[in-house]
Formats: sequence, structure tokens, C-alpha cells
Amino acid sequence: MLKYPGNWSLFRSDDRLLLIVFAVIVGICSGIAALLLNRGLESMLEWLHHYRIYWWAVFLPGVGAALSSLFLDKIVNEGAGHGVPEVIYAVSRYGGLLRLRSSFSRLISSCLTIGSGGSAGPEAPVVMSGAAIGSNIAQAFSLNDRQRVALVGCGAAGAIAAIFNAPISGMVFAVEVVLGEWSTMNIIPIAIAAVAGTEISRMLKGNQIVFAHRDFNIQFNDILACVGLAIFCAVASILLTRVLRTLHHASTHVSVPVWVRAFMGGSMVGCIGYFLPYVLGEGYHSIRSAIEGGFPAGLLLVTGITLVKIVVTSLTLGWGGSGGIFAPCLVIGAFVGLSFHRLIATIWPSVLWVNEGCFALLGMAGLISGILQAPLTGIFLIIEITGGYEVILPLIVVSAIATTLCHYIEPASFYLKDLVEQGQLLRPGTDARVLTDLSIEELLETDCISVHPDMRLAEFIDIVKASHRNYFPVEDRRNGRFLGMIQLDDIRPYLFDSAMHHAVLTGQLMNTRIKTASLYDDLADVLQKMDDGRFFSMPVVSDGRFQGMISKATLLDRYRKELMVQTGRT
Amino acid sequence: MAQKLFHIFRNTPLGRETLLQSIYFCQKMGVLPTVYIPESTKFLMYFENDVVQVDLDPSYLTDPKTAIAHASDLLEAVKIRPEFFTPKNYTASTLPDIPTSFEFMCCPRSISDLSSKIGLGYIGPRVRRIIQSARFPVLITSPVYKPWQSVAVFFGGSTNAVNALRLGIRIANRTGLGLNLYTQVGKQPADAYRRIVRKEDLSVPLNNVLGDWTFFEKGRFEDNLFSVPHDALVVLGAYGHGIIRDIMFGSMMEKIQSTISNNLLIAGPKYTVAG
Repeated sequence: MLKYPGNWSLFRSDDRLLLIVFAVIVGICSGIAALLLNRGLESMLEWLHHYRIYWWAVFLPGVGAALSSLFLDKIVNEGAGHGVPEVIYAVSRYGGLLRLRSSFSRLISSCLTIGSGGSAGPEAPVVMSGAAIGSNIAQAFSLNDRQRVALVGCGAAGAIAAIFNAPISGMVFAVEVVLGEWSTMNIIPIAIAAVAGTEISRMLKGNQIVFAHRDFNIQFNDILACVGLAIFCAVASILLTRVLRTLHHASTHVSVPVWVRAFMGGSMVGCIGYFLPYVLGEGYHSIRSAIEGGFPAGLLLVTGITLVKIVVTSLTLGWGGSGGIFAPCLVIGAFVGLSFHRLIATIWPSVLWVNEGCFALLGMAGLISGILQAPLTGIFLIIEITGGYEVILPLIVVSAIATTLCHYIEPASFYLKDLVEQGQLLRPGTDARVLTDLSIEELLETDCISVHPDMRLAEFIDIVKASHRNYFPVEDRRNGRFLGMIQLDDIRPYLFDSAMHHAVLTGQLMNTRIKTASLYDDLADVLQKMDDGRFFSMPVVSDGRFQGMISKATLLDRYRKELMVQTGRT
Repeated sequence: MAQKLFHIFRNTPLGRETLLQSIYFCQKMGVLPTVYIPESTKFLMYFENDVVQVDLDPSYLTDPKTAIAHASDLLEAVKIRPEFFTPKNYTASTLPDIPTSFEFMCCPRSISDLSSKIGLGYIGPRVRRIIQSARFPVLITSPVYKPWQSVAVFFGGSTNAVNALRLGIRIANRTGLGLNLYTQVGKQPADAYRRIVRKEDLSVPLNNVLGDWTFFEKGRFEDNLFSVPHDALVVLGAYGHGIIRDIMFGSMMEKIQSTISNNLLIAGPKYTVAG
């Protein structure tokens, strides 16, 4: 008799075929979520388009950001954030557990922010939505942690695949950025989800390439120039990361409600956008004109727009608007590519360079690779969204160099920076993750025999005979409080001196200055204490009472087993 | 092993009553209270297969400057060293993660709605979610501080009721108080319930602490609840009859909590009996 779906033993098994079935469902749901946001944005932009001629339209992005912030804060009660870091955090720490409300909250809030003209992308909200759908489907069927994480990856893959009509990019993004782990268990369902997401997108939106382009005739000198472009992309990536964080920190010093803060940020964006409409919204229109070679001429103009786009994106996202960094990265990347092309064309006018649309594409890959530190995502995304394989060589060069340079300057990517700073990025199979998944409680050795400080040595020797341990905790007879430890090595001389047997009390022999751990300490800290003091074991004391011993031997044994589980290797 | 009760402190007169009740429970049971003074109105609890967001009402943030002192005074008055919980992990900057590894948790009847609703027989949706997901029993306190003199267990024969009975026996053993058992007889005769107890090997431990076992054979369950002493700690299982039946006919827990104002200790479907 089945009472809850969660009790079905079938769903608890490591059944790959079953995971594929779930992957199809999650991929379809993510695809639908992506399309809903896409349609919502189109409707909002169309509706607000008529009002942009009025002077007060400069406040539209502010109103949108404020409404978005109020919706997140008051209606769905969800803390603001970019979305993807929250997904990575959930995968890192809690086996991909995400709230159900996350499956729709960011879609609505980002629609308000971006539709009103805020400079942000719809991708991260859809990724969060897809991931939350995957997580909650896994929760409903009581799947285990690894299966749940795989479905979270399926949601992310389906979302990206549906938005860009790019199944490989969705798959690579999910594995490279969200999960950080390439394993067969993950890749197969994620690939299926990416296909499902793409197919849903094609059925409902048509099989369109996002950014169509003309043929590019790439020469060796263009590939060489890509080294310079990669440096420009890396600089822009670092600049975007730092300006965004700086403006976000600056906003926290403004002591007004969050929705007012979002309104202020959005209004600043609106004011800037009044003079430079290129920087408003997700910016795909600007990318198209850049790729097709239709962007207004002038090196300074494009460079200026690039810098302004960085600022307005930082104002939108850093001051409380909702959305992602993906689309702004593509726009900024395209502008960086244009700027670079115009710069080298100015410096070396006699050299025959490939057209600027190609450099716009390469810039997009460079920015995505640099800011996400995910070169494969950058490479595959640009190939798929432009439908052109001929740029593969310069793409690899730009992505690889931009990623390397960014990693050199900023060791963690934009999505991971906060998590790394807080020590919350725990990728499977890493030391930090293994130690986090073990608890002091499960390593505790509780077969120690406690003694009391008023015991004579003779009594203590009888206890030693019955014990196989070298450590004896000393506890107060009245209240059970831990007083110290007796280690056999320290008292060996007394043991063989019969004159001492009735003259010495255990209270005189114990070490009261011994370092202790608590049940609630982090295992990494306990290990550090052991290394610093060169201990092989330590007493664990909680609320003044001895709980047991923790030893390096037990720890390493459990560590090895946990590592095997996490990496799937025996 | 030191066992702990997690208490979310509301720095108001009502919150004082709840903390006094938690302290009393801890003293009787020999467990230690861990007090959390919220820094924001939201927090997350990650259970094994569920994540519950708890949205506190703004009264939980009342006068944060005096909150620690107020809670410390109440704890020190009974010679308990105050231990306050500080979140280490955050899902978002305003969203701390609260661990779920405690042995007990204290909830007022509602932690997500206005204080004015508390005491009107209303369990908030967040409290329900916590009960459904937690591996620990949840202590739902009476509206005002009320020491208890006995343990009353509601036993309806379900798997969860068996868990609740185990919990009740454990509490009776720990506190030295008598245990009374209450059963609303359904389609099965009274003997069927005794057979369940025997089948679960609970006869001997139950007989050691059992005072009376009352079978309500007539009348509405809500009316029969008058027989339960007002100063008993009521132990019951929740959501034990299957999700459909809970939705169709209402949970027994809902009926009990909306009828009596005793302190309740509720074992949800995920509760695993600790030592």
C-alpha cells in the first residue's frame, strides 16, 4: 500500500533510465519557463515602448526595479540575488535543495526589471527557475542527493538551451558552471534535458538562430589579434566584476528600504539610457547590429558605450534590481570586440582584418569565458547562437586566454566569488567538501572509560587493565563536568612505582590544559588544532561534559570512504 | 551526548512565556536550550529532502538591544548557562541557514503570522512544514507558561502514533512522571490497539509508566478531549494516516491543537526515535 510517492523504493534507487525520464520532464518545464519569460519581456517592452517618448520615462527602469524588489521582498519573501550563485550554493551545501517559490519568483521579478529597461539578463532567472523545478521534482519523489543535484543541472541546462536554442551550451553551462563536476551520472540526464528544452523552444518559438551573421574569412593575423582581444576582454570582465561589487557595497550604505534603493538605481539607469538608449534592457538588439556591422561608427563612441553599459548593469543589479549577468556580458563583449577591431583598424589600416562583426562575436565569447571562468561555455555558446563553426580557432584562443588572465587576477568567477569568500563553495571530491560532509558526531569514539579526580592510582590501574585505550577523561564525580585527561604515556613512571599506587590521586596526574574540540566545531578547524598541537587525538567536550574522543586515524578512514562515495570511485 | 532544544526567541512578553516553557521542558528532560535571536524575519531550514523557509512576523525583531539580556536573565535564573546560536551559513545575505540537527525544537503555534493570532487555535503553515519535515519532535507551547504534571499520549494506531508513544515513554522515563494514554476508538475494537503495542514490543516499557489508558468509544473526538488534564504535556504523532486522508478528513493534530491549550510535543512523519 503506497501512502506517499516518497516511499516508493523504485525512486530511491540509482536508476539512470528513471533519471532520463525525469530529465525530459525537467527540460520541458525549464523550456516553458524560458519561453514564458521571453514572452513576458516582449509584451512588456511592446507595452512600454509607447511611453518612452515622455520625459518621465527615465523613471520607468526605477519603477520596474522597485516593483521587482517589492515583489521579491514582500510577496514571495525571497532574499534578492543573481540566482545562479544561490543554485550553486544549494548544490554545494545541501544536495541541490531549492525552494518551490524560486521556480517562478525570479521570472516575475526579472521580467519587471528588464522589461522596464533595466540592464540585466533573463538567463540567470530562468536558470534558477529551471533548477528549482528540477529540485522540487526530485523532492516530490524523494530522490537522493546525487539524483537531485543531477535534476538541478537538468533544469539549468534546459533553461539555457531553450533561451539560446543551444543544447550543447546548456549542457556545458550546467556541468561546467553549476555542478562543477563531469560525471556520467550527471551528463546523460543533463544532455537529455538540454534536448528537451531546445525542442520545446523550437516547437513554440521556431528554430531560429539567435544572432545570424555573414560568412567570416578568418586569416592568421586575425587569430594573432585575438590575443590582444582576449586581454581587452579580461580587463572588461574584471572591471565589470569589480564595479558591480563596488556599487553593490555602496548601495548597502544607503539606509533606505531596499525597494527605494532599487528605484534609485533604476532611475539612474533610466537617466543614462535617455542619452544612450543602447545600454537599456537586455541589449540583444545592439548585439545583432554589432554582428551585422550596422553599429554607428566611431571608436570612442563604442568604447564609451562599453564603459557605460558596465556602469548601468552594475547599477541595475547592484542596487536591487533582479536579473542575470549573462546578457549584459554578451552585450559588453560585443562592444569590446567592436572597440578592439576599430582600434587595430586605426593602428594598422593597411592590414586586411576580418569584419568587425566577427570580433564582436569573439568579444562575446571572451567576456562570458572571463566573467564565468568557463571557457567551454563561451566557446559552445557563440558557435551555437551564431550557427558558425568557422570562428572556432579564434574562439578557442580568446576564451582560453581570457579565462586564464581573469583567473590570474580574480581566482574565483563572478558567480563563485562570494561563495569562495564565505568558504561555501564545496565542489564534490574536494577536501573542504569531504570534511563538511563528515560530522564530529559520527567520528566520535565513545568507548573511553571516565575516571574521577579523587581515585587512587591503584584503582586507576585496575581500570587501565580493563581498557584498550591510552586516554582517560577525568570527570567531576558530583556534576559530571570534564576536568582534564590522563594519557598513559605521561604517567608511565608512576605506574611501575608501587609506592605511588596509594599515595597519588588521578586528580594530581591529569592534564588540565589539554586542547578540546566541541561537537559544533568545523572538522577543518579541529584538524588544524590537531596539526598545530601535533595531536593524534583530542577530547570532544560540549557544555562542559566529555562526549568522546576524535582521532586522526578514524577521521582519515572515514575521509577515504566519503571521498570514494563523492567521486564514485572505489 | 548533550541533547539540545532549539528555541527562537521573541523579545516580547509573549515570547518570554514561550521561553519559560522551553526552559521548563529542558529542565525536566535534562536537555540544553540553544536560543536564536533572529537578525532578520526570514531563515531557511534545510531538512533531508525539503527546505523550509520560515517567515517570522516583525515582533521577533523587537528591541534587539535588550533581547540577549532578557533571554539570559530567564536562563540564568534557573542556572542554565545561556547559549546563543549564531548562523554560519547564509543562502542569501538576509537569509541565514538554521541547522536541523537539534533533538527538539520549540515553536509557538504560529511563527509566521501576527502574534495576535496565537492562542486562537491556529497552527501556521510554516510550523506544519517543519513538523512534516523534521527528524526531531516539535514542542508547541501553551499560550502562557504552564508547568506540566503528567504526560498524555494520543494513540491512534498509526506508525506515527507508535513513534509518539515511544517518545511519550521516553519522556515519562526521563521526567519520572506518569503517562496516560488516550485512544479514540475507530472501526477497530480496543484490543486491536493493545495488539499494536504488543507487536511493537512496547508492552513492557509502557506498563512501567502507564497510569490510565482511556478509550473514547462514544462522542466526538473534540468533545472527548475535555478528559485530558489541562496540566499534561500532550504527545502526539502528526500526519500519520496518509496524505489523502489528512487532506480529506483533516489531521488529528489540527483537531487537538485547536481544541486544547496544553503544551504539545509533536512527532512528525520523519521523526526518528532518539535515545
